[in-house]
Amino acid sequence: MDVSSFLNALILGVSIASIWLIAALGLTIIYGAAGVINMAHGELIMLGAYSSYMLQFYLGVPYLLCIPASFVIVALVGLALERGLIRYLYHRPLDTLLATYGVSLVLMQGVRLIFGSDPKYLAVPEIFSSNVSLGFASISTFRLVILAVTALLVFALWLLFYKTRFGVQVRAVMQNKEMAASFGINAGRVYMLTFALGAGLAGVAGSLFGVLAIVLPTMGASYVVQAFLMVVVGGGSLAGSVAASGVTGELQSVFASFTNDTFARFIIFVLIVVFLRFRPQGLFAQAGARR
Amino acid sequence: MPGLLEIHNLSKSFDATKVIDNFSLEVVEGTLCCLVGPNGAGKTTTLDLITGRIKPTGGKILFANEDITAKHEHVIARAGIGRKFQVPAVLRDLTVRQNLEVSYSRQTNPFWNLFKFRPAGLKTKLDEIATLAGLTGRLNERAGILSHGETQWLEIGMVLMQEPRLLLMDEPIAGMTEVEIEKTARIFKDLRKTATLIVVEHDMGFVREIADVVTVMHMGSLLAQGTIRQVEADPRVRDVYLGEQEAA
Amino acid sequence: MGNLYHNKTAQWIAYGVFFAVLAIIPLTVDDSFLLNQFATYGVYGMLALSISLCWGFGGILNLGQGIAFGLGAYGMAMTMQMQSQTESNPIPPFMLNNSLDHLPMLWQPFQSTGTGMVLAIAAPTLFCAVFGGIMFRARVSGPFFAIMTLAMLSAFYTIILDRQAYTGGVNGLTPPSAFQFAGVEIDPYSPTAYWVVFCFLMGATVVAKLITQSSFGLVTQAIRNDAERVRFLGYSVAGYETVIYTISGLIAAIAGCCWVMLVQYVSPAQLDVSFSLSMVIWAAIGGRLSLLGSIFGAFLIQGAQSYLGDTFLATWLLILGGFFILVVRFLPNGLASLLESGLGLLATKRPSPAAQSNGDAKPMPAE
Repeated sequence: MDVSSFLNALILGVSIASIWLIAALGLTIIYGAAGVINMAHGELIMLGAYSSYMLQFYLGVPYLLCIPASFVIVALVGLALERGLIRYLYHRPLDTLLATYGVSLVLMQGVRLIFGSDPKYLAVPEIFSSNVSLGFASISTFRLVILAVTALLVFALWLLFYKTRFGVQVRAVMQNKEMAASFGINAGRVYMLTFALGAGLAGVAGSLFGVLAIVLPTMGASYVVQAFLMVVVGGGSLAGSVAASGVTGELQSVFASFTNDTFARFIIFVLIVVFLRFRPQGLFAQAGARR
Repeated sequence: MPGLLEIHNLSKSFDATKVIDNFSLEVVEGTLCCLVGPNGAGKTTTLDLITGRIKPTGGKILFANEDITAKHEHVIARAGIGRKFQVPAVLRDLTVRQNLEVSYSRQTNPFWNLFKFRPAGLKTKLDEIATLAGLTGRLNERAGILSHGETQWLEIGMVLMQEPRLLLMDEPIAGMTEVEIEKTARIFKDLRKTATLIVVEHDMGFVREIADVVTVMHMGSLLAQGTIRQVEADPRVRDVYLGEQEAA
Repeated sequence: MGNLYHNKTAQWIAYGVFFAVLAIIPLTVDDSFLLNQFATYGVYGMLALSISLCWGFGGILNLGQGIAFGLGAYGMAMTMQMQSQTESNPIPPFMLNNSLDHLPMLWQPFQSTGTGMVLAIAAPTLFCAVFGGIMFRARVSGPFFAIMTLAMLSAFYTIILDRQAYTGGVNGLTPPSAFQFAGVEIDPYSPTAYWVVFCFLMGATVVAKLITQSSFGLVTQAIRNDAERVRFLGYSVAGYETVIYTISGLIAAIAGCCWVMLVQYVSPAQLDVSFSLSMVIWAAIGGRLSLLGSIFGAFLIQGAQSYLGDTFLATWLLILGGFFILVVRFLPNGLASLLESGLGLLATKRPSPAAQSNGDAKPMPAE
């Protein structure tokens, strides 16, 4: 393997990492703050893609506006989900996992009944469908857009969790719910908002993935396992997910250049199991992570 | 004569905080040692270290001349150390009978236990302990519905079902009535014939009644050791306790 | 007290009645296609049973039971495929299409039916023992273990899809003729095939029931309740978890073999995430704490699914999802818990002297 194809693989790895990370972001904060394993996360991504599709197809909203709009729509879905179901199950972690799987079935089949099983496509501005050449490697412009959006979101989340009052409240609830309550923090409200935020992030991911691949009712399923692994390997913190996505994205890309994508994925899965044998708490376990 | 349990220069730090600092203790077989000290002195942490719940950063723990430092919890339990927790830990979804039955852990091998339905000697032992703990009438109740006092007794019963050589009791009389406390004192004194006990307790009246040896811990270290009379006469112990009372 | 549901004798009688009813089916059903379908329900019943044992009694939620099922099924399919290969035609056709000119190492043991069958059962069981051992020793538990089983399932799905020359890829394996055992051909549409599945289901159920009543079963229930506490009683929690997870995997592997015997087909779809989650749904709706309830859940849901037909599949899955959410939210112990409380009401209304004198009728929290 020569140097240029190796560099190419590394650059592609950054792109893969950003895709995995943006899929895992919402999951990370929902898990990190509320300890909820949200199996419907993939379907929230799917809903994000369909909301963008509807806005574009029926209302003619320009693509770049569809991204924040999908955030809002899916966040509202997440809010309803949290109020209607999840909040009754916080003390039963395995049951939240199952109930959210039920939700994912309902969402997937509901969308299938409404929109059918045929693929939908999202149109993007002309400029995004070109390639950018970096001398030795070339990468599609849209992948750069994803990278930029991911970076932006990570930065925004960091600001939110470490520089605002809300962030302090979230971290207080994570550390000790009862103690936080005695300081007048409404844990129920914190959970609700975190869940909505996490769902909204899935919406953003969906409107991006809808361009990267076709929009299908089943599209969410392919992202969710990967996203979970990023959370588990990272240990449930934001920094952990960033690091986990970065490392596994690069490994995936490098392995894939030796074999193929599918086999590389298999190797990654096995490596993760081995990794967790020695570090079950993940890369950066945070205080209050429920395990 | 070497002690049944020997702790040599035990240390434990969480991040930069030293919770246990160069603590040594020797407990002679057949005695009852009371571990006392103000809140945060490291008593429960010491029990955690003995039973393998947390691993020490330094030092050595010997039980019956065998090194049990940082062994797994179940290995230490099998060696003959039973523990009652500060917050009573019983299996709340199981019945009182099942709690006692599962504590009768003569055979711990999963494969053997696949073929065991009624372990030998279980019934006699279970009846004996249930009577002792006053739970005979409650055997078929779910442990989760027991009162606080009954839960304490159930956990003491569970530890006794294990028939350990060394019993660690973390605040066994919390939430008990006067009559029950007297009964506990009687049982503990009886137990000394067959076992060795370490009791963590705040109630000095109770300590006075049962202790052969009193060990006072302060800030993770040994402050004083001796009979209750010697310890109570020790000015350093007074300082620590009086200081705490003033603060409280 | 005195709830018939918790009476061990009554439980065994219920098991007897249940299997007696299943035994009457081949005597009354003439339609061989229907009989074949009933036999596949038996396979689903075994899967639900394996989930109930592991999750209901051991507290270990396994979202990757498709691994044991799928590996067992592939092993069986490979054995059956090799049964139809001859001296002059020693290589399965799909390998030739993938330009393999000799039988790969992986396939060679399957030339012998005996070795093939042993491998079909042993390989998935060994996988469970190793994977479970690694995970439980690292004290990965609860939702994390569930996620890891899911990841492992995806890994197997991926690799089977990818290694087309060895596994048939997305098309899977379709052994051309029925399974031959000791010179006898087991026609999948015959009562014989039904009886084979019946015997395995009944055997697995009885063994599982005995396990839950043994000292081992008591320890696993204690672990489900509070694993941390059980360690201090001297039990190796990881050891117990590994054993129950492995036994559960063994049952699923046998189910996989039976399944291929019935349908002469296996593909990566059997290792799909949604199939493994279906197994969990069966057990959850039927009642994970009840072995019989779980089997019944599998019958109920798979039965409803096949009678509603493919046209209503999307609507059906929507309803199933909704129903599943309701069960998890309001009836965590499934339909069996309805029976439990129903019989409980009966017992309080008319305290029967028989139940009261029976001191062994203890309220087993499980079953």
